[in-house]
Formats: sequence, C-alpha cells, structure tokens
Amino acid sequence: MIDAHVHVLAKESAEFPRLITDQTPADFEAPVEQLLADMESAGFEQANLIQSGGSEIEHHRYLQHCLKTYPDRFRGIGRIADPQHPEQQMDHLAETGGIVGFRLSHIGGPRDPLTPMDVRSFSSYPIWKHAAAKDYVIWLFPKAAENHCIPFLMEAFPELTVVYNHMAFCPADGLADSMGDTKAELPIPPETRYNTMGLYQYPNVCVVLSGQYSFSRQAYPYTDLGPWHNNLLRTFKADHLLWGTDSPWILPEPGYGRSALLIDELMPGVSPTDRALIMGGTAEIRLFRR
Amino acid sequence: MTNPGGLTAPPTAEDRQLWEEQGYLFLEQAMVGADLARLQTAFNRAATDCKPDWLQGIANGTKPAAHFDIPNPFERDDVFIDLIDYPSWYPYLLDFAGGKLLLLGPQVRTLPAQPISYVNWHPDVPQTNPLHMKVQIYIEDVPEDGGAFAFVPGSHKPGVGDCPQPIPLSAMPGHKLFPGKAGDAILFNSYGWHTSMVNSTQRPRKSIILIYEKWSPGKIPSDRFAAFEDQLTTTSRRKLFSLEPMTSSA
Repeated sequence: MIDAHVHVLAKESAEFPRLITDQTPADFEAPVEQLLADMESAGFEQANLIQSGGSEIEHHRYLQHCLKTYPDRFRGIGRIADPQHPEQQMDHLAETGGIVGFRLSHIGGPRDPLTPMDVRSFSSYPIWKHAAAKDYVIWLFPKAAENHCIPFLMEAFPELTVVYNHMAFCPADGLADSMGDTKAELPIPPETRYNTMGLYQYPNVCVVLSGQYSFSRQAYPYTDLGPWHNNLLRTFKADHLLWGTDSPWILPEPGYGRSALLIDELMPGVSPTDRALIMGGTAEIRLFRR
Repeated sequence: MTNPGGLTAPPTAEDRQLWEEQGYLFLEQAMVGADLARLQTAFNRAATDCKPDWLQGIANGTKPAAHFDIPNPFERDDVFIDLIDYPSWYPYLLDFAGGKLLLLGPQVRTLPAQPISYVNWHPDVPQTNPLHMKVQIYIEDVPEDGGAFAFVPGSHKPGVGDCPQPIPLSAMPGHKLFPGKAGDAILFNSYGWHTSMVNSTQRPRKSIILIYEKWSPGKIPSDRFAAFEDQLTTTSRRKLFSLEPMTSSA
C-alpha cells in the first residue's frame, strides 16, 4: 500500500532550513522515522512526501534527505518559489532524485469566470508548460476562486498528470495551503465540483482521497463524506484515485492507523480490485513508475 | 406581456405526436419584440446587481463558478413572474400535464465559457416521478459551440435503460443540438437525457430555465411563492404557484 499524501518536517536548523509558522514553529518536527514506523504499523510500504516548510530550493533539504536516504520508499512533490521563471528550480529538484512533481495552489488566472480566458496570461502558465514538457506531476490544491481556470489549462495540456488534493475540495481564500488542523467549513459536496468533475475526460487527472478531517462536519469516520467519495469513484474510477493520510496533521486525531482505515468506513461497497488501486495501485502507476 | 402571433394555440395533433415520440418541442421565436427586450433588460440588470455576491461566494467556496444563477428572481422583476404562464409555452405545458400543472421554480442562469460542460448527459428525474418538464429560453443568440442545449429524442420513454456517458459529450448517439436565436425556447420532457454542451466561444450563455411538474399532492408547500401573492390574482396562476389547492376540475 502507498500513502500518497504525507508531510515530513525536521526542526528548523542550518542543515534543514525551513519557514517558521504558527502551525510549524522552529522546534516542531514530523520526522521520517516516525512516519516509517506509522506506515509499518498500518501496512503501508511506500509514501509520497509533499513539501512543507517553504518553496525555496533550500527549504527542500529535508525532503531531499528523506528521498535520498530511502529511495525505494518515497517519492516527493516539491514547491516552486518563482512561478514566472520556474524551469530551473523544477529541473534542479527533479534531477536530485525522487521529486516527481510540484504542488500548486495559486493559478494566477481571472477570478471572474465570465472573463475571457487566455491561459498564457495566467501567472502559473510557465509551470504548467514546463511540467507538460518534462512530464512532471502537478499536485493541485487550487483556491475556490480560481478552480474554474483549471479546465482551460487541461485543454492546453491534455496529457498532463494533475492530481487534485483533498478529495478535490478547493479552499476559500483564507485557508492556508497546508491545512493543519484547520476546519475548512465548505459545503459538502463542494460547489467547485461543477468545474472539476468533468475533468475525468482528461486521461491523467486524478484525485487524492485525503483531508477528511478538515472538510467533514462530523467526527471520525467522517461519514458525511461517504457519498462524495463514492461520487468520485463513479466519475474518475479507481485508477484515477489515490489514498493519502495527510500525516502528520492527523496524528493527534484520528491517528495514523485509523486514517488508514477510512476507505473501508467511507466506501464499504468498493470492490477488492478498486480498493487495491486506491490504496496504492494508482500511486504506483502514477508516481512510482515515472 | 403580449402574445406573439400564431404561437398561442394549444398543441396541434402534430405537436402532440412530436412531444410523445421525441420528448421535446422547439418553439422558434417564442418571445420577440418588446417582450424579449423587457426580459433582456431585466436579466442584465439582475445579473449586474447580483454579480458581486456571486464572485464573493465563489471565493468563499459557497457558490459555483460554473453557473451564475440570479437568486430569487421573482423578487427582482415581475417579468420573471410573467414568464411562468407566458402564452408561447404555457398552453403546451398545461395540456401535457392534463390540466394540472405546478411550477417548481425558475433558473435565471448565465453560463461561463468552459472547455468542459458543467453537467454530463442526464435525466432530471426517474420515470416514477410525475411528469417533469422544463422550458429553456435563450436570452441571447446561442451558437452550436456556445453551450447550446442538447437532447436525445425518444430518451424520455420508459425502458430506455441507463443514460450513457460518452466522452466527449458530442459522442452521444442520436442527440439533437439546439442552437438558437434570442427568444427561441425548448420545451422538453425531463425524463429524457439532456445536457448543456461545451461553450467554447469565450462568450457566456444567457438563458432562463423554467421547471414544472404535473401536479401531485404535497409537492410544493402553499407558502413557497406566497411572497408574490399580489401578482398571482387569477385562479389559474394561484394554482400554478401552489397558493390554491388543485381540484379534480382544475
């Protein structure tokens, strides 16, 4: 099994510099050794590490350390500091090994959906263009105000692998890119679905089933999200769905082990074949075989 | 509003046959002249007034970006109330509903251009639901690639099976596309498979969708449209808007 969406963080140091935030103060850590122990106890063999702690190249040092130390266990998703000139950073991070894609939250397109759209004017366009040219994954968590821009980018780059984070919920302006223990308080199902669900027509648009703790209005096992999970399965199919815990934010509640059981709680009718794809098969194909 | 010439007669035998066999009627220039101009003006004014709230709702994640519906249109202009029993389509609806017709509501809708449609092919209700009908009125010209309405003739009949989900939408076998001029309207049986096709024009589509159903007890609370009671003075209107109970002689 593969956990497709986790974060690792070292304490802030000269060796592993990172941004310090309220959510991640200097002495906060989510070490890879703890993740490996949690994974082992829950039956996960591999994971996809999502960069936290900043978007500058030096902020990626702990992620790179983990990828280098455990090359068979992990793949990584980096971040980009300068969306206007991203090529050098994207290539540099990818060439150091294990980083297969880049997380993107700001699209830089018109917030008014009635505006004529030219993707070349979007501030993130160079990222999409370079990702398409180099077959990098776009790990996508767009704001609700910009999600209507995504279909235009898919039309421009129809073969690109794009992975919507957190069940394809798109946060309101005020929510941070890393949710931590934030409650998103969005409608269920999300209103952004009208611009998202039709993306199943593109061959490589996927969705990570993660972040339930933030988007549910209920306590574990977040049963109000069950219909939405099954809607995503019907629309995108299991070979476009991945499972992720969003560790470490789920460690206090509900805990790593219980997060790993959520698919059985929320999708009790899923077939064994589909379950195997969601719990690792899709991630193996989309992330680890690149 | 006035009656456009030649469009007010109850359905002819030919209309009825088309409705029963195909599940739709295309009402060319169902609204013209001053009536259409009045509707366009009210639509555009309401859209201008409501747009800031819509954009804020999108940013908050509480409103969809894929379509912009004017909230509470009946409160904004009487023209939207007058649409409900407009003589170009009302006689057809009343006839097809066996004289017992309920309004469920209007959608005053602007559809942004998008490379994908906001909705797949679908029926609105199962065959077990009372007859469910919609009238879609184009407020501006809608070209083939401008988010035009599309319908699969005959798909409203019992026993047609599950609605296919072809990729792209235009691959649906046997579908009929309805480009149109401002003032054209399509009346369709919502058991049938339909969708809004892709709008690749960069120009938003403006239309109004009126939703009706054959009367059944308890479907609409009697106070749903009570706020507009002063506009609903005839018996037929009061029944249509569920202010008065339907009777066997309705």
